[in-house]
Amino acid sequence: MIIDQLDTPLTGTSLKPTPAGVAYTDPEIFIREQAEIFEKMWNAVLRADSLASPGQWRTVTVGREEIIVVRTRKAGIKAYLNVCRHRGMRVCTTAEGRSKTLQCGYHAWTYALEGELVAAPNLTSMPDVDRGEHGLKTVHVREWLGYIWLCVSPAAGSSAPPSFEETVMTEVSTRFGEVQSLENYGIEKLRVGQTRRYEVAANWKLIIENFMECYHCATIHPELTEVIPEFAQGWASQAQDEIHGASFGAQVEGFTVDGSAGVAALPAIAEAQDRKYYAITVRPQVFINTVPDHVIFHRMYPVSAAKTIVECDWLFLPEVVEKQLDVSRSVELFHRVNLQDFEACEQTQPSMSSKAYDDGGALVPSEHHIAEFHQWWAQQIGPFARGR
Amino acid sequence: MSPPIAVFLTEEGTVHALDDTCTHQDASLAAGWVEDCRVECPLHESTFSLTTGEVDQPPAKRGVRAHQVTVRDGEVLVELSTAAPKLPPGVEVA
Ligand code: FES
Ligand code: FES
Ligand SMILES: [Fe+2]
Repeated sequence: MIIDQLDTPLTGTSLKPTPAGVAYTDPEIFIREQAEIFEKMWNAVLRADSLASPGQWRTVTVGREEIIVVRTRKAGIKAYLNVCRHRGMRVCTTAEGRSKTLQCGYHAWTYALEGELVAAPNLTSMPDVDRGEHGLKTVHVREWLGYIWLCVSPAAGSSAPPSFEETVMTEVSTRFGEVQSLENYGIEKLRVGQTRRYEVAANWKLIIENFMECYHCATIHPELTEVIPEFAQGWASQAQDEIHGASFGAQVEGFTVDGSAGVAALPAIAEAQDRKYYAITVRPQVFINTVPDHVIFHRMYPVSAAKTIVECDWLFLPEVVEKQLDVSRSVELFHRVNLQDFEACEQTQPSMSSKAYDDGGALVPSEHHIAEFHQWWAQQIGPFARGR
Repeated sequence: MSPPIAVFLTEEGTVHALDDTCTHQDASLAAGWVEDCRVECPLHESTFSLTTGEVDQPPAKRGVRAHQVTVRDGEVLVELSTAAPKLPPGVEVA
């Protein structure tokens, strides 16, 4: 049956519906999400400084595609589908490396870092083969906030990707007041103090929904609620239209696991941003948390309807990283929050296929803003057939 | 008849000419990586001296011919080597 999965509630009702359980388990819905959301939108994949010198490359996955991201000699950072144009072998077969060309290990078709086919056995006796046309397929690249952002489709050359300014930057500014107030944190100049990778056995939407609300904070985040007592009321930093800075508790010195002082504050933050925590979601796969002395940047990579990889960077001032100052108490706080959140998501995922969740669940008022995410999601993937 | 010739301009600004075809397999050295006055074959790891054509390491075992180059008024003039070209198996001068 084709259904409208979001019935608008009667005005004045406290509970709004969530999507049906099938939205979190169905492999076909998941493929549609890959195609219509992750492959069509901009995804943050790597810190730009993780590709420091020409020839350095890494492979990443966006939607259903594996992508080579490489720092070229002449053209900055470029990205290509990791598919040999000869007979399709993976060109790069490890997660990272450094090389002068990108060479396929099967028949040695060899691509310049800039993408075009430069050599292949006997290519000189095939003068009709256009080397540009048989180069690696390009993926759109942008650099912002010190991250490399990719957009897989449409293929470069066929037509333009969605405007980065109108999608990503506008999304940030409508949530963060204005892009500037995020830019105060100078995220592009920060350095990674630590990165953690979580394999979460849950649908990516459960993770976003979890991140968007704080109704669960008092129950599962004891350390976070100590540092930010107002979270015990259940209102998330992003629950209202414009982001709300959540204040540190009176005795709290810094955003650390025990409330002790952090490292030196980022120099350009506004006075109103001091002693405050802000959180935003940049659809479809980035969460940014800012506190006075560091920034926590999450990237999600959905793997299947029931599995998502989350990478989380803790970003500090360059001197903090260079001097190897102790940031373990800062990292530990959000690492615990991550583990607590992902555990809750993992305990929710199995229920998504239960009869009890055929019609979905409920959103309380401090979660009502999540319904806007659900509406957006439903628009992207279109109507789907519900079935058990 | 001569096989194709590759002309190289190094970062230092010097100009060199070698037979374009690698001696190991049919690959164009013009597409190779130029560094320290050598060109690395684009297919495998052998590198050739831009001045003498000599090869440093397998899989190519024989060097390529180097040709005399003069630059006059911005024009590159190449004087062909009289040695016999060393082509990979299966490749003949057209
Ligand atoms: S599949 Fe890559 S060279 Fe043949
Ligand atoms: S083709 Fe040149 S070294 Fe193999
Ligand atoms: Fe949480």
